[in-house]
Amino acid sequence: MPYIYINIILAFVISLIGTLIYRSHLISSLLCLEGMILSLFTLNALLSLNINFTLSTIVPLILLVFAACEAAVGLALLIIISNTYGLDYVQNLNLLQC
Amino acid sequence: MMYIVFIMSVFYVVGFIGFSSKPSPVYGGMSLVVSGGLGCGIVMSSGGSFLGLVVFLVYLGGMMVVFGYTTAMATEEYPETWGSNVVVLSAFLVGLLMEIFMVMWLFSGEHELVGFYFSGLEGLMVLGEGGFEYVREDYSGGASLYSYGFWFLAMAGWMLFVSIFIAIEVTRKRY
Repeated sequence: MPYIYINIILAFVISLIGTLIYRSHLISSLLCLEGMILSLFTLNALLSLNINFTLSTIVPLILLVFAACEAAVGLALLIIISNTYGLDYVQNLNLLQC
Repeated sequence: MMYIVFIMSVFYVVGFIGFSSKPSPVYGGMSLVVSGGLGCGIVMSSGGSFLGLVVFLVYLGGMMVVFGYTTAMATEEYPETWGSNVVVLSAFLVGLLMEIFMVMWLFSGEHELVGFYFSGLEGLMVLGEGGFEYVREDYSGGASLYSYGFWFLAMAGWMLFVSIFIAIEVTRKRY
C-alpha cells in the first residue's frame, strides 16, 4: 500500500513539473494543473478510506468543487487570450503597444 | 489483488507522464481521461465506490468535457502527438525510464512485495476476506457533507455561485 502512495505522489510531482515548464500551448499547462488536482483527489480518497476515518471523505469532494471553480476561471482567461490573439501560444502573450 | 492495484498505479503514473510531456492538448486530455479511469480503479479497490463515481461523473464527465470543447476552440491545424516531435517523445521516454527505475528499485529491496502488503492494514479489516470490499463508508462520509459539514457545503455553494459571475465578468468584451 505505501508503494501506491509513492506512485501517486510521484504523479503529483510529474504534473507539477509539467505545469511549470511551458511549451507552445497555454492550455497544456492548465491540463497539467488538472492532473495535479486529480492526483491530490486520489491521494485524499485513498488515505480517508484506508484510515477508516469516514468524516474526512468530505475533503476529496470539497477539493473537487474548488478544482471545478478554478478550471472555470482558468478556461475563461484562456478564452480571452484566444479571442485576442487567435491561438493560445505563450509566445504571443505580449502587452507591448508600440 | 494489491499487485493489480500496484500495476494500475504504475499505469496511472505513465498516463501522467503522457500529458505532462506536453503533446497537443487533445492528446493530453485523452491521457488525462485514461489516468482518471485508472485512478477511479485504485480508489474503488479500497472500497470507495462513491468516490470513484464522483471521479467519473464530476471530474471526467464535467471538467474534461469542458476542457475538450475549449481545446477544440483553441487548437491548431496539425496537432502533434508523442511520435511526431522529438522533444515530446524524449520527455515521455525520460519519464518512463524514471518510473521503470523506481519500480525496479522498489522491487530490489530486502522485503518482499507480497509479504509487505499482507502485513499491512488488511489484517485489521474484519469484513470480507480479500477481493473487492464494498464497505459503504464513503457514502456516509459524502452524506455527512450535508449534516456535519454544512459550513463546507455553504462555502462551496457560494464559491460556485460567485465563480459564474467571475467567468462572465472576465470574458466581457472591453472595446
